[in-house]
Amino acid sequence: MGRVAGKKLFSIMALCAMIGLLLLPIAVSLPSLAMGADGADAVKKDGEAKVEKGRDVYYKTEGIVVGAPAPKTVDGPRDYPRYNFESRVLLWFANQQHLYYGSFVLAVPIFCMVIEFMGVVTKDKAMAKRYDQLAYDFIKISLTAYSLTAILGGILIFTFLTLYPAFFGYLSGIFRPVMHIYALMFVAESGTLYIYYYGWDKMKEGFLKWIHLSMSVILNVIGTLLMFLANSWIGFMMSPAGVDEQGRYLGNIWHVIHTALWNPLNVHRILGNMAFGGGVVAAYAAYKFLASKTDEDRAHYDWMGYIAMALGVAFLIPLPFAGYWLMREVYAYRQQMGITLMGGLLAWLFIIQATMIGILFLSTNYYLWQALGRMRGAEKYQRYIKYLVFVLCCGYLVFITPHTIVMTPAELKAMGGQQHPVLGNYGVMSAKNGGINVIITTTILSFVWYMRGNKVSTVSWSKFGNIFMGVFFGCAYVNIIWLAIYGYYIPANVRVGLSVPQVATTLSCLFFMFALNTAMMKGAKQMGAIEWGKISVRSQYALIMLATAFTWMMGLMGYIRSSVRLFWHVNEIMRDNSPWAYTHTVGFAANMISFNVLFFWVSILFVFWLGSLGLKKAPVEAKAGVPGAAPQPAGGH
Amino acid sequence: MKALMSVAAIIGAAGILLLAGMTVGIVPSNTVRLIEGYMPVQVIAELTLFVAGFTGISYMMSAMGMAFPRFWQGILFWAFLLIYLKFRVYPPIPFSVRAMYGTISLVAIFMWVSANEEDWNKFKQPIMNVLDAKTGGTKFLRIAYLVIIPILIGGFSYNAMVPKSEEPIELRTVHPAPPASTKVHGKTYTLQTSQNPYRVNPEGKYDQEYSNSNIVEQGMGRLMKPTSNPWDKDAQGYLKYVREGGEIFYQNCHFCHGDNLNGRGLHAFAFNPIPANFTDPGTIAQLQETFIFWRVSKGGIGLPNEGFPWASVMPPWEQHLTVDEIWKVILFEYWHTGYYPRTWD
Repeated sequence: MGRVAGKKLFSIMALCAMIGLLLLPIAVSLPSLAMGADGADAVKKDGEAKVEKGRDVYYKTEGIVVGAPAPKTVDGPRDYPRYNFESRVLLWFANQQHLYYGSFVLAVPIFCMVIEFMGVVTKDKAMAKRYDQLAYDFIKISLTAYSLTAILGGILIFTFLTLYPAFFGYLSGIFRPVMHIYALMFVAESGTLYIYYYGWDKMKEGFLKWIHLSMSVILNVIGTLLMFLANSWIGFMMSPAGVDEQGRYLGNIWHVIHTALWNPLNVHRILGNMAFGGGVVAAYAAYKFLASKTDEDRAHYDWMGYIAMALGVAFLIPLPFAGYWLMREVYAYRQQMGITLMGGLLAWLFIIQATMIGILFLSTNYYLWQALGRMRGAEKYQRYIKYLVFVLCCGYLVFITPHTIVMTPAELKAMGGQQHPVLGNYGVMSAKNGGINVIITTTILSFVWYMRGNKVSTVSWSKFGNIFMGVFFGCAYVNIIWLAIYGYYIPANVRVGLSVPQVATTLSCLFFMFALNTAMMKGAKQMGAIEWGKISVRSQYALIMLATAFTWMMGLMGYIRSSVRLFWHVNEIMRDNSPWAYTHTVGFAANMISFNVLFFWVSILFVFWLGSLGLKKAPVEAKAGVPGAAPQPAGGH
Repeated sequence: MKALMSVAAIIGAAGILLLAGMTVGIVPSNTVRLIEGYMPVQVIAELTLFVAGFTGISYMMSAMGMAFPRFWQGILFWAFLLIYLKFRVYPPIPFSVRAMYGTISLVAIFMWVSANEEDWNKFKQPIMNVLDAKTGGTKFLRIAYLVIIPILIGGFSYNAMVPKSEEPIELRTVHPAPPASTKVHGKTYTLQTSQNPYRVNPEGKYDQEYSNSNIVEQGMGRLMKPTSNPWDKDAQGYLKYVREGGEIFYQNCHFCHGDNLNGRGLHAFAFNPIPANFTDPGTIAQLQETFIFWRVSKGGIGLPNEGFPWASVMPPWEQHLTVDEIWKVILFEYWHTGYYPRTWD
């Protein structure tokens, strides 16, 4: 008893230490947050002397000027020292790699938290152990990747300091009040991560397990705050605030952080990181599945791939809506920025993005259809798949139709003008909103089929439930398509608002149909077991495709977001006067993104290999393929 | 089920015959017309009918013991889609878009034929038969493919690489991003916040809802509302300004943009691309009035770098019209097309 009590005490102390670490940066920064340290100093120094005031470029409030104006850089070794290479490309590479790893190490602890929680609440002890082992495996991979993230962060800062000293000096001057908070958050993140990881075995049961789970919550809170702080830099570069027209800091760091695009960027990045993390882990599981020599291993990695894919897709579904909100805010902030993104210079990159989004959803659906194959009793759904393919394909074709069409002058002439009577209608937002919502609703339908694949509902109202479900999905499709058509007949501001009922329709399908299906499947008759490991190899390639598409799309969207500033380091405040203040061609950008993707995957394979060196093999309690004994993912089955 | 599939099969067969007839010219090509304005929905509806039809035909053939091999179902359906996109939709769809559609439909067909092991095995069986080459026929096919496929790839490669005298492909930016502000006749207009001074209600206040309620009906007819006739001699305020804008339009713009504002004016086909079609939902309907104000004022010569390849011959109208005239002509364009300018509130 004494030993257990000691462990409890130790665990609570560790938890308190984490909370202390979390609060430390805030406590340290309280004075500067309250009034702006620089502002206070400046006022004290000047005393009764003349105080210069400036107007905030975004908030339009007055503030005391406490910073230097944004430097007017000139092309030369002072502002833009360089190697015999394009500095921008070097920075692009360093930044992208850091972002990939940063996203991964922020996403994986959230997965661990979810999976560990599933393990704690699952009544089946074998399953609980399995979930716990899976969460542990994930965090172990994350730990190795965490070191690499820190190294890449260092490389990124050195690259900034070496190649863009004036720009980095200006930004770090603006963010000076929170620079050390940022650094302390890293310390808190590292400390928490290490206690969480090394305390795993010590705190594996009972009350201690809950303490351990609480640590994962704190770890994720710290990680999320860190990301928010990092996002404030890019938010400031795109939509500066807290400075006057000359870029002089006005003493309110909250204005600098809380820019016009900060909130949508935060939401978009959280969801994106989660989807990306799920994709990477699913690809890892797929690779291990393909390389497995035994049925037991195949069963384990099949299950792992499914869990990772389900978690990733759960965050992928709301991602387009978060992206839509971000773009809406961009348009509201600067019309020309929005047009450059979606109708002008970068429009074709958005078409590529739409293509990648489509690939993500197609891969997900394909995986789920393949997964039906490992369920006995799911054959009844197979013959309807072709209709889902058709609906998905129609939505996808509309979604990727370009507004700016690539064509020869002869084709342009044959078309009779720049506008095509079919493509012109598909190429605008109203139709595209319809397209993506049709795709997502179909994905939800595939998930519902998967969840009920090997089951037959035994509730007395099952017939009514099935009819209701069919009618609900039917009405959802009609509503989405109708609103897409109706969007052409109403003012643009109302049309933009139509996305709300469209999204609401899709999310209603997600929540109501999942809930209804779960209620219907309670105590359902099992037609057969899920035969883990008996899934087709094509499904695993779909998972790899999913992860690659995630990675590629992240690289692409990062590039687009950065390029939209055109020739500005900080939009309308600090001009980029380097020789590289032009927008790359689509081809060059695509090649560069592909290189970044390739590098990331090669390096993460190395990380996986490192992680596997000391990996404890998951105990497989049940032999694959034995009905009733195979692992069942929580929730769905 | 059988009755439903029979109907689908009849529709499918009739549709295929009709399409084939129209493609080769046996049946008049306007037998089933794609009508401008309804085309986007028509195309999807037609494809849905064809899918239902093919499903019915496949079902009926299976029921009669003459199941059509899955391999050929996939190949022929893809060929059908390519033919449909190439010959059915007019004006012709540019190759780049057809290539995108073709690739996606190929992926979709792959997803369909490989959705489960049984179907996938059925689909790949003919391929495996040729690769295994256990009969005389398959042996011959394997050798034939061995010769034909490299020749085809070589031919495509040669065709792609050989220098051509065609004009190069251009990625024309239809809507280049506007500047934050523009200076016209000595006054600076901020595009984000400026408003059309003639979009006013009877009290003389800026009122977009009022003006929106007086535009012509959108759609095929573009009918004028009986109570909103700008050419009524008693028309005042917004409608009077629309009339004045119309007069300016027909004195200056309609030669190129056409009397229906569809970009098909007298001189339109002297240019490539022809002038903008304001009745298309992808032009003025997508833009703020201030964007149009900037484009009209500065013309093709004022396009920014982003507007490459600057393929616009529109004059900078600020040299010919007053600011008021430009605003009024914009008012008329929205009124006539039945579209609403984009706003952000």
